[in-house]
Amino acid sequence: MRLRRMLAIWAAKITEKVSVHIFHRQGVTWAGKIALKICPSILKELAGQVKNDIFIVCGTNGKTTTNNMLCAAIEAEGYKVICNHTGSNMLNGVVAAFALGAGLGGNLKADYACIEIDEASTRRVFPHFKPDYMVLTNLFRDQLDRYGEIDITMNILKEVMQSAPAMKVIVNGDDALSAYLAMDSGNPYVTYGISEKVLDDKDSHEIREGRFCKCCGAPLHYNFYHYSQLGDYACTGCDFKRPEILFDGSEIEVGDQLAFTVEGRRIRANYKGFYNIYNILAAYTAVRSGGIPVEHFNDMLAKFNPENGRMEQFCIKDTKIVLNLAKNPAGFNQNISAVMQDETLKDIITVINDNAQDGTDVSWLWDVDFDRFKEANVGSITVSGIRCHDMGLRMKYVDIPSMLEADVEKAICERVENGCGNLYVLVNYTALFSTRNVLKRLEENR
Amino acid sequence: METTDMKITIGHLYPDLLNLYGDRGNIACMMQRCIWRGIAADTIEFNTGDEIDFSKLDIVLLGGGSDREQAIVCRNLLEIQEQFKEYVENNGVVIAVCGGYQLLGKYYKTDAGMIEGLSLVDIYTEQEEGRLIDNIVLKSDLVDMPVVGFENHGGRTYLNGNQPFGKVLYGSGNDGKSGYEGVVYKNVIGTYLHGPLLPKNPQVCDYLIQKALERKYGPVQLGPLDDRQENAANEYIYRRFVKE
Repeated sequence: MRLRRMLAIWAAKITEKVSVHIFHRQGVTWAGKIALKICPSILKELAGQVKNDIFIVCGTNGKTTTNNMLCAAIEAEGYKVICNHTGSNMLNGVVAAFALGAGLGGNLKADYACIEIDEASTRRVFPHFKPDYMVLTNLFRDQLDRYGEIDITMNILKEVMQSAPAMKVIVNGDDALSAYLAMDSGNPYVTYGISEKVLDDKDSHEIREGRFCKCCGAPLHYNFYHYSQLGDYACTGCDFKRPEILFDGSEIEVGDQLAFTVEGRRIRANYKGFYNIYNILAAYTAVRSGGIPVEHFNDMLAKFNPENGRMEQFCIKDTKIVLNLAKNPAGFNQNISAVMQDETLKDIITVINDNAQDGTDVSWLWDVDFDRFKEANVGSITVSGIRCHDMGLRMKYVDIPSMLEADVEKAICERVENGCGNLYVLVNYTALFSTRNVLKRLEENR
Repeated sequence: METTDMKITIGHLYPDLLNLYGDRGNIACMMQRCIWRGIAADTIEFNTGDEIDFSKLDIVLLGGGSDREQAIVCRNLLEIQEQFKEYVENNGVVIAVCGGYQLLGKYYKTDAGMIEGLSLVDIYTEQEEGRLIDNIVLKSDLVDMPVVGFENHGGRTYLNGNQPFGKVLYGSGNDGKSGYEGVVYKNVIGTYLHGPLLPKNPQVCDYLIQKALERKYGPVQLGPLDDRQENAANEYIYRRFVKE
């Protein structure tokens, strides 16, 4: 079997080398596909060689950031970790992470593995290995055309949780849907969350999932919301309520940078966005649950640069540019909040595609609270990407004028020439890679 | 009577349960296209359990929801069935989308059981293998422009001889076989098209507004709006999926 595995690993490495620079993430996926073809048991075998624990990260938003942060936190304590950094999170991407991380001799030298998995793909990955921990970040509406209703995603997750009864679920207790899943699965679970009210939510018209109890169907009562349906809830009809939070973030600071206290430790990070507190808290809880030290957690955060289009910064001809992924209503609303934390004048470009990986249905744009751009000191909005017309209309119906330029590069160049010098580029999934390439190239050529 | 003296009240039914797929876009579109013409517009949201006075409403929007949520809604709907039926028979304007469309009919038979419908229109829906998910383009007799949107449904709706909303030019429609999509009954439009439906189909939106105003005030002429953006968005979808 080892020879076959070696062959698979070599093939994967060659495929990646040849294709990744041209096809980017697609190259990683191909590498995994070829490895699995040559050696169908490769994932099972290599996963079995991980010395300590395998963590997986699931949930609608925050998977890539949380998983990469978790990996960095474990590495900061001196361990070797296998990780699908690029966010290739379907079966082939998971296989690639292990195959590319293995030695040419066919063996894996790793203490831990941190693997993000697309929720729908868990069904295909779990037959190969049973993780020790599953981090479940949140469940929001996302790509309904691909996954169907949120209930379908929940059924899949429940099924895989029950197929690995020893797997401990590290769950966001502020999300009634995720918490219900963890409790209902029968698996052991650990909760993280934020028990203090942080933001004033009275003016929010956000779409909130799961207003009704998954146990009994009665409405949930909320003491407060953080954002979307995350908050402090209890069922009005039965005993279901927000579980006791074991890793509770308190003394939250949300502004130009983030800070909070957990277990008496002050955690600081130099990024924006309330949602990142959840990502950090999830990674922290996972590290602690795995019995791994957190001595270097703050150092790790200080150095942590995702470089993957999550609040990634560029500078082109004196224009400061921030690129951020926004692929569903909950994510986009959080993005708008983060943009609003910058009170200076700004230009905004949105890039919305409808390729298969984005979800071909763009109606989610109408579930985002774009009217908040009116109070965000926005100088101009340019709509770009394949579905720029939809986005332009979306803006029109909240009385926000926009410029239309389907070509991303032209849109960026125009704003660099004529804009205010402070530019936010908000993009959905497939637009992320193309836009990031354009920005990198323009930055290098300046 | 000048349209500027007119007022439209939209009733949004059960947004606490039926709020999938940008239903808010349909509300925003109807509101804005009234307001831009100087017609006063107001939306009242009715959550489950709320009392509904149909005599105060000019347009009713019944949106989409998951199968599970539809089953909850259906219990509430049956309590208002009589008044809703009277509203429809008196030419009340209704736009029902996705799950809301299915609920207009007699029943929706799913794998999990039978959801009793409102029986406002003599149609029925049955869940069949596979979901019909894609962009969709129709030709409807109600408007000149093609009707564009997105469909995502597991149920197949059968019209029992009722008039369809449109003929399918691209996509699946009611059942993937008949070549038709949606239903029109009196001033009721039921359709699987979301995306949402109205912003990219301004003529459909104006059709609903016109019918609502005429029912209330008699014959009216809606003033034109600058629809260049709407038309461009509509044409993009039409060209991409039909013309090329």
